[in-house]
Amino acid sequence: MITEERKQKLLMNIRKLSSMHEIQNTMGRLTAALNFQRADEILSFFALEREDVSLEYADEGLFEGKEAVCAAVHDIIVRPEEKGYMLDMQLTTPMIEVADDVKTAKALWWCPGIAAVPTETDPQAQWCWGMTGVDFILENGTWKVWHLHYFRLIRCDYKKGWVEDTSMINRLNTPVHPLSKPSTYHNPYSPLSVRDGIPACPRPYASYEDSDRNWMLNRDKTK
Amino acid sequence: MTDITLQDLDLLSEEEFEQIELETERLMSVWEICSLRGQAAIFHDDQHIGEHRRELKTLDHPLFNKEAELKFRSTAVVDSLEGNMLIHPLTTPVIEVSADNTAARAVWWSLGIEGLSRYRETPMAIISAGMVPGVHLKEEDGWKIFSGAWQRTTKNEYHAGWVKSMVPTNTRPQISKEEDRQRLGRYAYQKDEIRKPVPCPPKKDTFGAYPEKTDDSWLLDNLKNERQ
Repeated sequence: MITEERKQKLLMNIRKLSSMHEIQNTMGRLTAALNFQRADEILSFFALEREDVSLEYADEGLFEGKEAVCAAVHDIIVRPEEKGYMLDMQLTTPMIEVADDVKTAKALWWCPGIAAVPTETDPQAQWCWGMTGVDFILENGTWKVWHLHYFRLIRCDYKKGWVEDTSMINRLNTPVHPLSKPSTYHNPYSPLSVRDGIPACPRPYASYEDSDRNWMLNRDKTK
Repeated sequence: MTDITLQDLDLLSEEEFEQIELETERLMSVWEICSLRGQAAIFHDDQHIGEHRRELKTLDHPLFNKEAELKFRSTAVVDSLEGNMLIHPLTTPVIEVSADNTAARAVWWSLGIEGLSRYRETPMAIISAGMVPGVHLKEEDGWKIFSGAWQRTTKNEYHAGWVKSMVPTNTRPQISKEEDRQRLGRYAYQKDEIRKPVPCPPKKDTFGAYPEKTDDSWLLDNLKNERQ
């Protein structure tokens, strides 16, 4: 017998499947915009009208609110155009959970990447790997990035590799961006670091609660 | 997002509804299995032995070797976790879910990076390519991994490259290169050998060809039809 409950569940699953596909495409487009260094396009994927929209990037700090997120993208993530510069991040290992109420979603990707960064001589070939955790929120039928946290894993000279070259895993000791708040987590690989399973894999959930805000940093691996 | 509504579902016959319901569940399973394997990759990377964790494997399945699994999990293979890392991103998925949505066979490819410090020495940077094959079963609390060990293609010291260097699986006591060839390195790259086409990604009719759900001989399908 087709009960109301079965109908509701089927509709929920169809909506979740459709959402997971859209979220994967949205992040693919955002990643392409990041690689091509198109600041306004990157920002177009964010839920900028929300007061609590946020972007956290490695150890540059947490940028919360429209003004701060825009500043982070323009001042830190996108560099001035320069010959020889190249960034090529990729999305792999997708873990996407859409809430049962299909109003929010939590997602995580592992992101291998390469870069070429101009120097006084030839550009330097670099590895830049990390993980990207994202909360999405459905706004007017479109999935928008609500909170995004890029967790740096390695950033190093390609010739030396991630053990020999740890010079780029932490930011230089220069003033942090005036709109940044303290980092919530930064633990890149180094010969002295211990991996600790962060960011965590998102788990199935019914609807987004305030306590979900830091699911990426959840150390309790039993749940 | 989709515009389908409850009213649209009311138009379906019972048979149509059940078909769509099952197909939807099977597609949901694909995403759940991707998350399961992603979770396994996270646990694999941090290597904290003995830590309480959500169970990802079918530990209590009668055909699962629980004793060997628990022994493996409780054996340290490095002195300290400092400098150790096992990052194996999952790409190129081929996932086939059984018609009744209770079993799934899959193969991913992976290009990974590692750091290996066995006795607190300066870590070795390693590049390791390989595949993640597996059989997955749906249990009461969700999808679990029944079988599927990392199949190495390369595992090389970073600067030496994959033609000149092959680092054996890190075990205690350490195994010889010959023993490694019998285990996870069985199908690994060798410069003086023709590559074996293993594992075969699951074919569309995998559950028709191999009806026993826990059977993993489909992984060797290509060996029956090797290039001459």
